Amino acid sequence: MSATIVKSGVKRKILFAFALMVLVLAAAGNASAELTATANHDHIKIDFFYHGSSVSVRGVSDQGADLIIKISSPEGHQELRKKGKLAGFLWMNVGKLTFEKVPNLYSLHSTKKLDEILSRDEMNKYGLGYPALEKHAEIGPVASEDEKTEWFNQFIKFKESSKLYSVSSGKINITEQRGKQNYYVLLDWPYQALPENYTITVYAVKDKKVVETAETHVLVEQVGMVKSLAGMAKNNGAFYGIISILAALGAGFGVGMVFRKGGGAH
Amino acid sequence: MYLYLPVALTSINVLIPVGLGLAVGLLSGLFGVGGGFLMTPLLIMFGIPSTVAAATDSNQIVAASTSGTYAHWKVGNVDFKMGFHLLIGGFIGGLLGVQGIKILSAMGNADFVIKMTYVLMLGIVGTYMFIESLTSMKKKKGEEHVQEKEAGISSLLKSLPFQTRYEKSGVTHSMLLPLIFGGFVGVLAAIMGVGGGFLMVPVMVYILRMPMHVVVGTSLFQILFNCIEVTFLQSYTNHNVDFILAVLLLLGSTLGAQVGAVFGRRLRGEQLKIILAVIVLVVTVKIVLDLTLSPSLLLVQGGGH
Repeated sequence: MSATIVKSGVKRKILFAFALMVLVLAAAGNASAELTATANHDHIKIDFFYHGSSVSVRGVSDQGADLIIKISSPEGHQELRKKGKLAGFLWMNVGKLTFEKVPNLYSLHSTKKLDEILSRDEMNKYGLGYPALEKHAEIGPVASEDEKTEWFNQFIKFKESSKLYSVSSGKINITEQRGKQNYYVLLDWPYQALPENYTITVYAVKDKKVVETAETHVLVEQVGMVKSLAGMAKNNGAFYGIISILAALGAGFGVGMVFRKGGGAH
Repeated sequence: MYLYLPVALTSINVLIPVGLGLAVGLLSGLFGVGGGFLMTPLLIMFGIPSTVAAATDSNQIVAASTSGTYAHWKVGNVDFKMGFHLLIGGFIGGLLGVQGIKILSAMGNADFVIKMTYVLMLGIVGTYMFIESLTSMKKKKGEEHVQEKEAGISSLLKSLPFQTRYEKSGVTHSMLLPLIFGGFVGVLAAIMGVGGGFLMVPVMVYILRMPMHVVVGTSLFQILFNCIEVTFLQSYTNHNVDFILAVLLLLGSTLGAQVGAVFGRRLRGEQLKIILAVIVLVVTVKIVLDLTLSPSLLLVQGGGH
């Protein structure tokens, strides 16, 4: 009896030692590959006083790696009117363009300029940079590749003007610590960004190749009265319309009454 | 202070809509126009999507025109009978105009026709009012008002059936006249996507020969009902009315309309007409510049004209 106990005790010790070894080895293996990404808040609430926000992303990466941080909304479909010249000198809406497979928000920040740290193939593979977005997007109706490029550039201009697209480099703060590096970046979150679930992806880059990625999410959501008003406008249009009209009539009469009293005093 | 607009999905400094409301409400109370031709482009300039801007403006005009109509009614400057007849005509015209847009869209280049009609209408109305009020201001100083011109047209108008007296305006017309011209303005307004106050005012002044102060009050009364209808349809079918934005705008515009109505009483009809003519002409020039100068962005949000 006691012999078997001793025996199983030894077995357990051996097993434990083995497990420990595996763990240590695994940790050692991961030591050069352990990218993390955390956003300071993963839930942005839109209330009446919302005027955009700021989001910070921090984490740990392998020493010496360049980093790219991408914030994007799910890809979708957008329809825009295009302006063109009519009769040679009149600028008017001359038709519609449909943009497929483009995110509504796209914001890219890297430690160095994208071209310097990443190859073209890798950019296209991971959808990094405007040229990669263009390659992936479908625009219609356009007659040629040149026309596609021309309208995609206009699309970027349109998006940048409402702060929904941006590309920048050099904003990411890096501090080294025991063979690793901590990174930190503080980003303006535009109030124009619609309620949606956004993905923040961090890419660690070495030798012009993406070696690791990490992901986190930011949910933007309307809350409270903003949510109920938006919901009512969408789902109960007739009631919403009547309330809006009654409020306007009430305000108009109300001010009229106040003025009559004021006028009488003179 | 900034507020978030739940339908426009953007944030705005509250002073902007309140200030805009005050300015446009003032014009509304002074001249009897809704002011959509000023307000909608200004709202778009401040980042409101075009469809939301137009729909919300109509909600705001309900408040401004209620306030203005009330102010003018107190001093007996609203001709309800004329207003109703114009409204009926305008309503039928609006229905026809919507069909007109469908035909234009089917033919292609709808935007071109709409923009051109708008510019021409503004230009013609503005120029005519400007010249006419200038000459009548000069005449006032010398001799009495001469009325023998247009004798042919007025005898033709007198021969129409359903003659009726419009007491407040002090004119006698066939009922058909406000119905037809109300309808005409309704068709154009629907096609151009504007309220049509800037067309209705000249129609009342020059064709229906109503005194300017009654024109302002009656026009506001008429605009009030049009905008109630538009607000409801926009909320019901397009979900484009932003209640918060409308409230901010009407805070200014209801007040502005009162001030405008009081201020307008101190001005003569000709003075009112010539200021309105100048505003209409300035807007015309602005639209012409927009059409001819290269835009900074070649892509715009869809929807609306």
